[in-house]
Amino acid sequence: MKTTHIPKLDDFLGGGIPEGSSILFSANPGVECEAFGYQTLQSRLEDGDQGFIFTNVAEPSDITYEFDKFGWDLEDSVDEGNAFFVDGSSYFIGAPVSGKYYVKDYSEVEEVVIKAIGDVPNGVGVINNLSTLIDYQGDEETVRIINKWNQVAKELGTILIYIFTQWDYEKGLIHKIEEAMDCVVNLSTIEERVIIGQGFMVTGASWTKPSSSMVLFNILRPGGVKIFIPKLLVTGPYNAGKSSFVKQIAPDSVSVDRMALGQVPTTIAMDIGHVEHKGFIADVFGTPGQERFDLILDVLSKEAVGAFILVDSTAPKTFARAKEMMKRCKAEAIPKVIVANKQDLPDALSTDEIRKVMNTDQSIPIVPVSLLNNEGIDEAMDALLEILYK
Amino acid sequence: MSRLESGIPGFDEIFSSVSDFDLTGFPGNTSTLIIGPPKVGKSIFCYQFAYHGLSIDEPCLYITADEGMKQLQQNMIDFNWFLQSAMDKEMLYVIDSISSLSGASIETTNTYNLSKINDPTDLMVKVGLGTRFVFKKSEEFRSVFDSLTTPFAFNPEPMVVRFLKTYIRRLKEAGATIIFTCTEGIVSENTEKILKSIANNVIMMDGDYITFRSIEGPIGTAKYHITDKGIIVDKGEVL
Amino acid sequence: MIVRIASGIPGFDDFTSSDDDLGLDLGGIPENTATLIYGPQGVGKSIFAYAFAYHGLTQDEPCLYLTTDLEMGDLYQKMASIGLKLDEYSENEMFYVVDAALSDSGSEMEDSDLYQSTSVKNPTDILVKVSRGARMISNKGPRFRSVIDSLTTVLESNNPVLIVRVLKTYILRVKEAGGTALITYTEGSSNSSTEILIKSMVDNIIKLDHGKITIEAMKGMGRKDIPYQITEKGIVLDNSE
Repeated sequence: MKTTHIPKLDDFLGGGIPEGSSILFSANPGVECEAFGYQTLQSRLEDGDQGFIFTNVAEPSDITYEFDKFGWDLEDSVDEGNAFFVDGSSYFIGAPVSGKYYVKDYSEVEEVVIKAIGDVPNGVGVINNLSTLIDYQGDEETVRIINKWNQVAKELGTILIYIFTQWDYEKGLIHKIEEAMDCVVNLSTIEERVIIGQGFMVTGASWTKPSSSMVLFNILRPGGVKIFIPKLLVTGPYNAGKSSFVKQIAPDSVSVDRMALGQVPTTIAMDIGHVEHKGFIADVFGTPGQERFDLILDVLSKEAVGAFILVDSTAPKTFARAKEMMKRCKAEAIPKVIVANKQDLPDALSTDEIRKVMNTDQSIPIVPVSLLNNEGIDEAMDALLEILYK
Repeated sequence: MSRLESGIPGFDEIFSSVSDFDLTGFPGNTSTLIIGPPKVGKSIFCYQFAYHGLSIDEPCLYITADEGMKQLQQNMIDFNWFLQSAMDKEMLYVIDSISSLSGASIETTNTYNLSKINDPTDLMVKVGLGTRFVFKKSEEFRSVFDSLTTPFAFNPEPMVVRFLKTYIRRLKEAGATIIFTCTEGIVSENTEKILKSIANNVIMMDGDYITFRSIEGPIGTAKYHITDKGIIVDKGEVL
Repeated sequence: MIVRIASGIPGFDDFTSSDDDLGLDLGGIPENTATLIYGPQGVGKSIFAYAFAYHGLTQDEPCLYLTTDLEMGDLYQKMASIGLKLDEYSENEMFYVVDAALSDSGSEMEDSDLYQSTSVKNPTDILVKVSRGARMISNKGPRFRSVIDSLTTVLESNNPVLIVRVLKTYILRVKEAGGTALITYTEGSSNSSTEILIKSMVDNIIKLDHGKITIEAMKGMGRKDIPYQITEKGIVLDNSE
């Protein structure tokens, strides 16, 4: 098994990718997909394997620069002979070719890549980009070529990674491409009129039954593929402890003034912070509790993927307001956790009692928390992450 | 259908003559192909359309594929159109897919991103980022792609068409009013037909006449002139 | 206002100046643009290019010259034959030649700062050398001129699809470096879509055809034409005294 070092992916694949396997990163247009290939290559190089990149979308120098921005020194690996390029791009834009191998005519691609695969037995090859290959070679020829490459790679134990942008191809073609692969990872966009996030999901692997969870990710420079929770909302009635909660999960949070959109623009104070929890990162927004600021909830909730609803466990009269806010922030549609604060006080209701009063079903966890005693905060984070990554 | 001001004097009046509605202006949230031979003013139309929008606080996502950012600004300055204040206000987001060829080292900013002429995957990522940025400013915004000529010169035709379809779908979902340009006669007849069918509206410019075929059916045409204030359209007629 | 640089063609600058009363707008070729000179064979396209390049030299504007039909020695001779003597400018390191006109036997001259040999069959190498030249020459001053004479020869020796891409890159780089480019091309020597692409990539289009020069497109002005003659002094427009 070879690890990709892409967070979560190795777990989903039962530990990594077996030698000689082919893996397709199949991306919705708009998803940053190259990083998946580059990061896997970088991980393999760091573990002592050899590898190559076939490129038909960027000059090798551009890719070296990209690696640099990720914080990885590809030039070094190339100099030491552990990595090389198959340059299928430069000639076609009139730039000087570089790399161990290059292509000046697309009819050469098949053979040149086979040579490259032969140079890195038990290593890894990245094909960026399969879509461009289709445009130059045609559908059937491309399918034939990738089957051939995969066959050669299987014999030599070389892992082949394909970067594929799923433009509006015929379903039959996509099916044939997926059939040629040992493993398919879908990279998709999370959209609400515009792209607000991206996620990956393993849709099939020949060697294991992968988890079908969608993992949200972000591409960081430096850093590469990172799991993330784009925005978390912290909301709830007045005096439930929202600001302290934000402070606890995001110690560097600050209170800032923001313009609230609406018929009458007003300035309001919001708590904004950055949370890191067990390798997951997120931006947190704590909203004001008063009704006159409900408009900001509408705006923020459009971008949030998760919400904490804080309630004061000693104040059941405010629960109706909490429910109203959940509706307001469209929290019906996004994962949410009810944080039952002030459990340290003697007259605090238990979570069961709260669930009864609020009349919510079991799908929404209610976590007992005492911000005063610093209790239950990690549990609340865990509860939300569990729903997000289920 | 919502209407907006194209910013081209005389042009919006053509719509009122081709449309049954009592509204004047450019049809909002549609896509429009501007096609014609080289040097007839297609880019000037784009500059004027974007600049007018910015001047009335309608943000713009501008993809420049023929000229780099520096040349784009220079070309607009020839008409006394200055982009700086719109950029300062972050009303304008520019994606420059051509400067990487010029060998200049250019820094990206909050509102200026680079892509590559032969990498539609990367361009689509940047379009996604830019769209989100501009969308946050206003749900009604303009989007300009000038032009498809260079992408067609550097890529197989089907690739550019695939990109374009996705681009238009995404921008329309986001609420944009889209114009994109292409030089007539540089792609196969079939591809040209596809381009015209992808767009809701087609504007043809031939150096003397500007002709508009709208989503609503009728065709309007008028003589136009390029002046030091941009394009000016004479009184039009319905064909 | 559009800044123009003197063309070196007698009559041309008057012909392209706008009729403003102040006389502020001098005619010529718009600065930092690309201009296509095209027309049938034997109408004086190269002569236009010589005059344009030479006039720049006399104005302290260095020139990057890609020659595809005449080897450098022949180019010097040809220009001298219409009174354009290059030697002085060559000594002052103002005239930079990329020579793609060499026969396969190669050059007798060694490459230097001012002279680079290449092959018309190797567009990538041409692009590398003109880019290097443009960078170097742009260090000498704020403006320079850059000539390709002729694009036709490069097109005929290669896949036109690739040459169009190389041309685009060339124009971008010259403009980025602050230069003003001029490109000659024989009408009809490639297919229609290639010809349209070339026209779309330049800013100005000037056609020479049997005694008539037509400005088909130019920044800041409309289409117009005027008769011209080829004399022992080169191209002369009929409006010049």
